[in-house]
Amino acid sequence: MSFGMIALLVLGLLILFGVLDRVLDRMALNDRQALVVVAAMFVGGLLPDIPLGRVQINIGGALIPIIVCVYLLLHAGAAKERIRAVVASCLTAAAVFAVSLLVPADPVSMPLLDPMILYGIAGGVIAWLLGRSRRSAFIAGVLGVTIADLITGVSLWMKGVNQTVYLGGAGALDAIVLAGVIGVLFCELWGEAMERMSRRNTAHAQGGSRA
Amino acid sequence: MKTALSLLLGALLLLVPCAAHAEQMDAESVFTVTDEAGQPLFSISSSVSVGDEYIAGNNVLYRIASLSGTSAVAQRIGEEPMPDVSWLDLGEAQPVFALSDESAVPAAKSGAKPDEKSGQKRLIAMYVTHSDESYVPTDGTQSIEGQGGIYDVARAFRDALQKEGIDVILDESTHLPHDSGAYRRSRRTAERLLQKRPDAIIDVHRDGIPDPEEYKTEIQGESASQVRLLVGRGNQNSGVNREFAKEIKAVADKKYPGLIKDIFIGKGNYNQDLSPNAILLEFGTHTISKERVLASTDVMADVVSTTLYGETTSSAKAQPDAQAGAASASGEKEKKSFSSVAWLLVLVVVGVILFALLQTGSSKGAGKKLGRNLSEMTGGLVGKKRNKSEKK
Repeated sequence: MSFGMIALLVLGLLILFGVLDRVLDRMALNDRQALVVVAAMFVGGLLPDIPLGRVQINIGGALIPIIVCVYLLLHAGAAKERIRAVVASCLTAAAVFAVSLLVPADPVSMPLLDPMILYGIAGGVIAWLLGRSRRSAFIAGVLGVTIADLITGVSLWMKGVNQTVYLGGAGALDAIVLAGVIGVLFCELWGEAMERMSRRNTAHAQGGSRA
Repeated sequence: MKTALSLLLGALLLLVPCAAHAEQMDAESVFTVTDEAGQPLFSISSSVSVGDEYIAGNNVLYRIASLSGTSAVAQRIGEEPMPDVSWLDLGEAQPVFALSDESAVPAAKSGAKPDEKSGQKRLIAMYVTHSDESYVPTDGTQSIEGQGGIYDVARAFRDALQKEGIDVILDESTHLPHDSGAYRRSRRTAERLLQKRPDAIIDVHRDGIPDPEEYKTEIQGESASQVRLLVGRGNQNSGVNREFAKEIKAVADKKYPGLIKDIFIGKGNYNQDLSPNAILLEFGTHTISKERVLASTDVMADVVSTTLYGETTSSAKAQPDAQAGAASASGEKEKKSFSSVAWLLVLVVVGVILFALLQTGSSKGAGKKLGRNLSEMTGGLVGKKRNKSEKK
């Protein structure tokens, strides 16, 4: 492979590494924990999948993000927050199905936003609507795609199609990880925008009442 | 929370009729693209977008300029510069065409493995995203829930490549159902294959155009099917992959004129963001017989082999002109790689600045935020070091 192509690949990976690190950093993980998790995702993505019957679980692309979700759920401040995160995950799974059905299947018809980006946005929007929580957005993105993949697998098995479900098989570049990351980023962006709008409205209202 | 939940559930319920409509659209939509004079250029089994590009069989580049219902008009841009394949005339052993800057020691053709001393690995990876795709005249249906007729084509193509002395890994995993999630599922397959570090990765498909005449052709007197090449323009490897597609077409046009139908450069990435030298091949359409398609696999394998590894004979020395030709093609890919790197860096910098601006609402705030982040990422080397007491 030429130097240019290697540079392109390395740059792409570095960007993802940096973004993942920043995202995890903002979710109750300290800097060192975030770095360890990101490194584990990259390295884990290269290790052999863990077979569980007709399901193959990639360590970096599925197992570690799911463990992070479990950690976040256990360390949630209140039971309400846990329930919101679980509900957000189920709704995101439904949204993943909806995207799969609505977005045309043929490659040339892909909309401006790739479905993988749409999954993350769905997770981010749902998590923000339910509780304005970045952690919920990550959980919703990761578990939403995982649940959707498992349900797809089960429905095929029931029809007699013996298809293996590969969870997180693309490692750190898998839809499971990307949905979580994009969910957090979108939730943050959306949340900031909404908060700034409400601060501006409050300031105008106070300015109006003083006058 | 109850209000938010109700709104969300309502929105999801509303999506059900929309999904039914989308499925119907998907099944029925065949777009016809004409040039600005109204002459038909090509058909495609689903929608095109403004900005998509098309390199016709005669190497003229068009760009989709406008859409109206299931019709599109493409603007003629001009002759697309194609890679130099004059070295194919020389009939002597040639160095590797595409991937490495080093001149490879040529190997004997057909059936023989490369000289072990050369250390030249020859590996291609293949997979099938739309697992159900089948050929109506032969398979009796256009879709089989399981391994469709397309797998017979993929296997034949693999066998033909192996006869060229190339190692091939064909991952026969299925990625059902045939919806937009198929690429998410096949991404995992592609990533597994890329761990073997192949020289190229190929996603095998068939088209969905109802008129089989659009794909029928004759190669060396035998009834065969044309092959369409698809490149995704929505990823950082699009430049390099476009060059790869052009190389394949240039070699095919020289050796087997009429084999490559055209090159379509559309939206989306088709998992081609995972690697350079990634390509999607459409072997015929669902209304053509599979026998015609299978007849194309041998010649297509020869084309891919020649593109990646050069034309081979028993001669051990490469001609200087051929080396220059191969080096120039490799140089073009190198240029595309570096320009993609530059664009990616620009996009990242712009994206990070925009994100910081949107978060903080002011350029001063964005600057402080970026400085803090840089300091955290570099352990205080760049930017102001964060106080331990400072909260996140």
